[in-house]
Amino acid sequence: MPLEGAARIVSELTSRGYNAEREAVTRIASTEDPAATLERVLEALPDDALVVRSDHVDPALEDATEPASDGGRTAGQTGSAAEHAPVSTGGDSAPSPPNDGGFPVETKGVGEGRGNAGSDRSVDPLQRSIEIVGDMTGESTGTGEYGDFVSVFRDRLERLGSKLRGRVNHRPATAVQSMPGGSEAAMVGLVNDVRSTASGHWLIELEDATGTFPWLVMKDREYADLVDELLYDEVLAMEGTLADDSGIAFVDSMYFPDVPRTHEPSTADRHVQAALISDVHVGSQEFMGEAWNRFADWLHTPEAQHVEYLLIAGDMVEGVGVYPNQDEELDIVDIYEQYEAFNERLKRVPGDLEVVMIPGNHDAVRLAEPQPGFDEELREIMSAHDPRIVSNPSTVTLEGVSILMYHGVSLDEVIAELPEEKASYDEPHRAMYQLLKKRHVAPQFGGHTRLAPEEKDYLIMEEVPDIFHTGHVHKLGFGKYHDVLAINSGCWQAQTDFQRSVNIDPDAGYAPIVDLDTLDVTVQKFS
Amino acid sequence: MRAEDERYFERLESQLDEAFDVAERAKERGGDPEPEVEIPVAKDMADRVENILGIDGVAERVRELEGEMSREEAALVLAEDFAEGEVGDYETKAGKVEGAVRTAVALLTEGVVAAPIEGIDKVEILTNDDGTEFVNVYYAGPIRSAGGTAQALSVLVADYTRALVGIEQYAARDEEVERYAEEIGLYDKETGLQYTPKDDETKFIAEHMPIMLDGEATGDEEVSGFRDLERVDTNGARGGMCLVLAEGIALKAPKIQRYTRNLEEIDWPWLQDLIDGNYGADDGDEDEADDAEEPADDGDAEDEPATDESGNSAGPPRVGESKKFLRDLIAGRPVFSHPCAEGGFRLRYGRARNHGFATAGVHPAAMHLVDDFLATGTQIKTERPGKAAGVVPVDSIEGPTVKLANGDVRRIDDPEEAKAIRNGVEKILDLGEYLVNYGEFVENNHPLAPASYAPEWWIQDLEAAGADVRALRDDPRIDLTDPDADRALEWAREYDAPLHPAYTYLWHDLSVEDFCTLAAAVADARLDDAGETLVLERTDAVREALETIVIEHRQREDRLEVDDWQPFARSVGCEIRRTSADGASERAADADSALEEPTVELERTWSEDDLSVRARTWGHEREGDNAIEAVNEVAPFRVRERAPTRIGNRMGRPEKSERRDLSPPVHTLFPIGEAGGPQRNVADAAKHAETMSDTPGVVELQIGRQRCENCGTETFENRCPDCNERTTPDYRCPDCDSRVDPDEAGRVECDRCEVEATCVEVREVDLNAEYRDALESVGERENAFEILKGVKGLTSTTKVPEPIEKGVLRAKHDVSTFKDGTVRYDMTDLPVTSVRASELDVDVGQLRALGYETDLRGDPLVHDDQLVELKVQDIVLSDGAAEHMLKTADFIDDLLESYYGLDPFYELEDRQDLVGELVFGMAPHTSAATVGRVIGFTSAAVGYAHPYFHAAKRRNCDGDEDCVMLLMDGLLNFSESFLPNQRGGKMDAPLVMSSRIDPSEIDDEAHNMDIVSRYPREFYEATVEQADPEEVDIRIGEDTLGTDGEYTGFEHTHDVTDIAMGPDLSAYKTLGSMMEKMDAQLELSRKLRSVDETDVAERVIEYHFLPDLIGNLRAFSRQETRCLDCGEKFRRMPLTGDCRECGGRVNLTVHQGSVNKYMQTAIQVADEYDCRDYTKQRLEVLERSLESIFENDKNKQSGIEDFM
Repeated sequence: MPLEGAARIVSELTSRGYNAEREAVTRIASTEDPAATLERVLEALPDDALVVRSDHVDPALEDATEPASDGGRTAGQTGSAAEHAPVSTGGDSAPSPPNDGGFPVETKGVGEGRGNAGSDRSVDPLQRSIEIVGDMTGESTGTGEYGDFVSVFRDRLERLGSKLRGRVNHRPATAVQSMPGGSEAAMVGLVNDVRSTASGHWLIELEDATGTFPWLVMKDREYADLVDELLYDEVLAMEGTLADDSGIAFVDSMYFPDVPRTHEPSTADRHVQAALISDVHVGSQEFMGEAWNRFADWLHTPEAQHVEYLLIAGDMVEGVGVYPNQDEELDIVDIYEQYEAFNERLKRVPGDLEVVMIPGNHDAVRLAEPQPGFDEELREIMSAHDPRIVSNPSTVTLEGVSILMYHGVSLDEVIAELPEEKASYDEPHRAMYQLLKKRHVAPQFGGHTRLAPEEKDYLIMEEVPDIFHTGHVHKLGFGKYHDVLAINSGCWQAQTDFQRSVNIDPDAGYAPIVDLDTLDVTVQKFS
Repeated sequence: MRAEDERYFERLESQLDEAFDVAERAKERGGDPEPEVEIPVAKDMADRVENILGIDGVAERVRELEGEMSREEAALVLAEDFAEGEVGDYETKAGKVEGAVRTAVALLTEGVVAAPIEGIDKVEILTNDDGTEFVNVYYAGPIRSAGGTAQALSVLVADYTRALVGIEQYAARDEEVERYAEEIGLYDKETGLQYTPKDDETKFIAEHMPIMLDGEATGDEEVSGFRDLERVDTNGARGGMCLVLAEGIALKAPKIQRYTRNLEEIDWPWLQDLIDGNYGADDGDEDEADDAEEPADDGDAEDEPATDESGNSAGPPRVGESKKFLRDLIAGRPVFSHPCAEGGFRLRYGRARNHGFATAGVHPAAMHLVDDFLATGTQIKTERPGKAAGVVPVDSIEGPTVKLANGDVRRIDDPEEAKAIRNGVEKILDLGEYLVNYGEFVENNHPLAPASYAPEWWIQDLEAAGADVRALRDDPRIDLTDPDADRALEWAREYDAPLHPAYTYLWHDLSVEDFCTLAAAVADARLDDAGETLVLERTDAVREALETIVIEHRQREDRLEVDDWQPFARSVGCEIRRTSADGASERAADADSALEEPTVELERTWSEDDLSVRARTWGHEREGDNAIEAVNEVAPFRVRERAPTRIGNRMGRPEKSERRDLSPPVHTLFPIGEAGGPQRNVADAAKHAETMSDTPGVVELQIGRQRCENCGTETFENRCPDCNERTTPDYRCPDCDSRVDPDEAGRVECDRCEVEATCVEVREVDLNAEYRDALESVGERENAFEILKGVKGLTSTTKVPEPIEKGVLRAKHDVSTFKDGTVRYDMTDLPVTSVRASELDVDVGQLRALGYETDLRGDPLVHDDQLVELKVQDIVLSDGAAEHMLKTADFIDDLLESYYGLDPFYELEDRQDLVGELVFGMAPHTSAATVGRVIGFTSAAVGYAHPYFHAAKRRNCDGDEDCVMLLMDGLLNFSESFLPNQRGGKMDAPLVMSSRIDPSEIDDEAHNMDIVSRYPREFYEATVEQADPEEVDIRIGEDTLGTDGEYTGFEHTHDVTDIAMGPDLSAYKTLGSMMEKMDAQLELSRKLRSVDETDVAERVIEYHFLPDLIGNLRAFSRQETRCLDCGEKFRRMPLTGDCRECGGRVNLTVHQGSVNKYMQTAIQVADEYDCRDYTKQRLEVLERSLESIFENDKNKQSGIEDFM
């Protein structure tokens, strides 16, 4: 039926001598009464226009009685697949707008700014606030020298270590080495090595700026289970007793930087929502354009009127050369055209949204983390709605609520290294808990995740965020860890051949919506 | 065996015996690890099997069984013998199983490869959960060299022996079953398997396996689930086990089944389910699986005839394109022809005398014209019939055709001419013919591809048409391969035979449309030079047509000139009308000018409408893209397709002819630790002192302790320094220090402490004294050599050092040693079955002295250029090898005289004296050397020998290389005690030698070589049908096995002038840097009509530059670091910044320079060769990544314009 409608609209337009953009047609077709909308559009059309564009349609739509009924049809609240924490369904906590008659409040600013569309975000823009911390775009000072690498790891030990030093009576490795057998000792350091001994105990080598010292975790001790969770190069504190002939210490307790249990998240002062998405993959043959459009249309509906922020955690496009023979699976082979197409998609969302984006591993920036935000050329292409483009990771604070955005490449490694019950693709937020516990988005060096050495470690969670937002694994999952909301948004790319071959079923076409005043999550489904 | 063959072998063996006697006497006197020669002679396979295994009595039993049954059956009978204790001296059940399994593998690999000793680590008895015992076989990586069948059978034999000695079956635990599945997947990902069973299949096998398959970890990757299992020692992937389960059991199930059926003691009923694929989780699934398969099969069945029809009915017979060979194209190794591309090599069938056994015959002129990238022995990756082939020069096929800068289009059949005109070549229109022998198609089980129309086929067509070919052949005025045009036309007219190939052009490459244009142009042409030359008006269409059909002509500004034009003109349907002085024509009478005007005119006898629909639409890819049918409709004779099959190929490896040096080179296997510096210089070590207070030259070394039984002296030498008696290794228990003697099996275990005893100790050795003594004992001074290099440490079990004296003499004669004490020279293998004295740089007298009496035809051997059939163990050395062997011979003579105190053995003056000397041929991954005899030399950088000689070493000739050693060097200097004790240490070492080749005991690939002098007409006709090669009857080596003729009668269809033609070395080896090679590669791709240069550039970027850039960039951001001072490696940069071991400076292992070395070149190539935007953008993105990582945003390197 929509197709029929579209065809009818096109023929109607051509009969009157107009050409039309596909998007404009879809837009018209998706209204309650396309015929009436069409008339209104044509009335409002400037005299010199030959082609009906979507920006001609938008003002006309604002006059319409019922904007984008589509959203109502497809968007629905779904419980998440994940077990977790408080998820509110929109109706519970969100004060519903007066919607009985279906008439939105009269719009203002018709024709002012681009694509100011259907739903009413009447709030004073001055009430909004966005602050960015940790954006290293344009600040990359590393030149790939040995010393740069050493600085990064020292900075990590210094800053994360400071979170632990108050908790134990720590000594440098060299000091521990020279303590007599039987002494009590403690140390803060990076995990340098984890080995199992012949008798099944665990030997953990901690390293600080003076050297290394081996700590033995007995297999029957309570901490033995934690060894499974350890990743190389995370920062830990250990406390224990030196063996009689010293040279090794028996661990009595182990401390992670962690999120304090007393952590209380900040919230916004008013009812306002943010949509957290990622992994759009425009340009891929599997990109779900329809679902995306439904999402964009939904954002124009009254139901979405409180969504004032849109956060995109990387992989705007499918990219080029990400894996061998990728060109055979690309819908758009040209990388610049991919970004242009992404920009077109971005144009569809309401113009009064604040958009924040970080790059991901498919994007045309360096793969090594931290990844700086896009360069000038790409920023110019992605100009719709003047998005804020920052580095991966970055912390964005929206009206007091801090959100750590990280694309999530390290999740693969966490999931691979840790036992299934602690981290799996089906529950990606549990892998994120591990990162929160380690207070680092990608601790392990030398494995899956790539590191670009900078003067400091941008991958540390110096401050505890209120929300931790990642993507990358194409699975939807969220939950709370010590009152920090961890969200891994799904994706907008249907199952690829590769995913099919390894039996990964992505959660595609979902948009988690967070109430910034309560940190409750609603999931909207568009696929 | 014929009497003369027997004489030949006896002669070799007596020569061998003679050398053996000398070597034995030397060994008795010297201080070698053993007082006797350590390479036992094996006369046959049974001997080799016994020698490799070291189990007495096996050879005898193998010989008994050999005539009666197959080798597989013999392996099972031997298993019974082992179980009953009739063979082998094993007390334990585990030992019996182990002996039986090893013997089976040795037997099935003909006792040549190292798999039986290196690939099976041990067999042990473990306990099932119900308390019963089961057998566990430990496989190791080298089991790979045994191949799937032997691997699979080893399991069967283990099971059979288990049943016979009364051990229960293995009952796998669930977690073990799961572990197998995970591990196979992991191994496949990491290393790759030829066949990877699905998880269900692996689990099914694991559940039913009656013995446990186990082994050591072969990679770094570990399984993530099912770790730390009680009965599995490692968490890594066990490579040997994976190979046996996947490529053995899973792949060869039908073969094993053949044998299990006949054995009562064991029962593998599950094999049938495995073969049928019935291993679903439960019955319900099985049914579904069956259902699912059937429709799929139907689908296939429907597809195939459909494609067949479209292939057969609508157009000419053609093979399909295969792009596989282009994969992983490397910078600097050019593509010669894209798949089936016009202008590429044209498939001609035949076997030249230096051909067969995975080789490809290329015209030497073509080798020069591809800018010398092809040389004798260069490996090419090819489209068909196999994957790779070694290039051999063949000049009895057609050479390439080129267009010169002056506009001449010429076929070049002379290598000298090719060199002369090379710089003026604008385009290589056609690469000429490419000779492949019939056997190659048999070996690869590849359907025959349509043959080129060549003289050898045409003659048979002519004969079939009724001509008296014998008379023609005997007529000295007639050249049947290259007749003149009149004669060719006469034959075509007189007999109903197709036009001679010399005048058959590549009409099939021309479209019907262009053919009509060409015919019109010919009709309008005039004649010149008294009718000798056809002159066409020059237009692009006509010029391109002439280039497409590859006819020799000249291109001038306004005209195109064709000589020998009559067959050509008639082929395009133009009649020659004589208007000459005999006055038959009206026009001649009319015009006065007729006297000066040409007297011959051309008339087109047809118009386009005359062509049938069939001729007009005849084509392979598109309708009407093939004019051959049109030609046949308008020409007055039959014209066959000249070159229906083109074969794509590219360069693989370059040829090799180099001395084998370890790096750094080693002269003596004597340890000197770090004292000799990075050069491992013994003289430096002799002066080395750690501190001022140390005695110079005294160094702490790990070395084997020996004890003199006579006087009790402890030493590391093999002869007591006090009483000169032989010493023996002195094993002590590391715990209680008591002396332990090795048991029968050679194991040394302390009875009390149950630990393995060792003779290795750390002791101070006075290197200075050792060095001086050695110099003195062989009477040499230090200035006799430039440098004497030792080794850092010994890697063998007993750490017995080699006497330094040998090193001194090696250094003096500029030869170096391999890890086993021998001096080696590597060469690419190529086959040759007949030779001429003249091409081997020997005279016919020398050949006669070696027992060559008659030439190929049976005439007495008197001239240097007579062809003689090569004897099976005779080999031709490359110039480099000869020189190196001469040096080695001098070293051996010196060694015999000054060290062993005997007379010199060789006393060679020049290389002619090498003729007739014996050498060892020895291939990597094997443990058996084959005795060969030098008969001559070649300037090609390859080792030519009889294909059976290569096959005896388990090599074919598709670019494989192996080594030769001088016989006496092997006998005197090889010792098993030098071999590294790690896995694979016994590979590539002559643990046994074969003194004579038995054709039935060689790699059977060689048996598929055809050995005839002519392929029948039916063969050529079968190629057009693309028949299965087995359907054609051509004699191959297999047909003569076991007969008197098995060593002889290797006939060939094509002669070559010299086995070393074309360049001696590939340009790949003579060009300097990678960039130069790549420039030359791309330059060549522009010149070749058969190559799409953009595709080459894309591939070089895609398969070489991008992986290099991406890989290095990835490596950079997760790299290890290393201490510059002590070499210690760190997974991550130490927080101290300095080395934790020595406090030294630590640095990166991957630097900016190694990451972006190809960046600019890649961008430039992408630009210059017009690569796709996709490729260019990938490079752009990468370049920006590099900048982002290696440049400081705050301090960007600014260009000069910033200052202007």
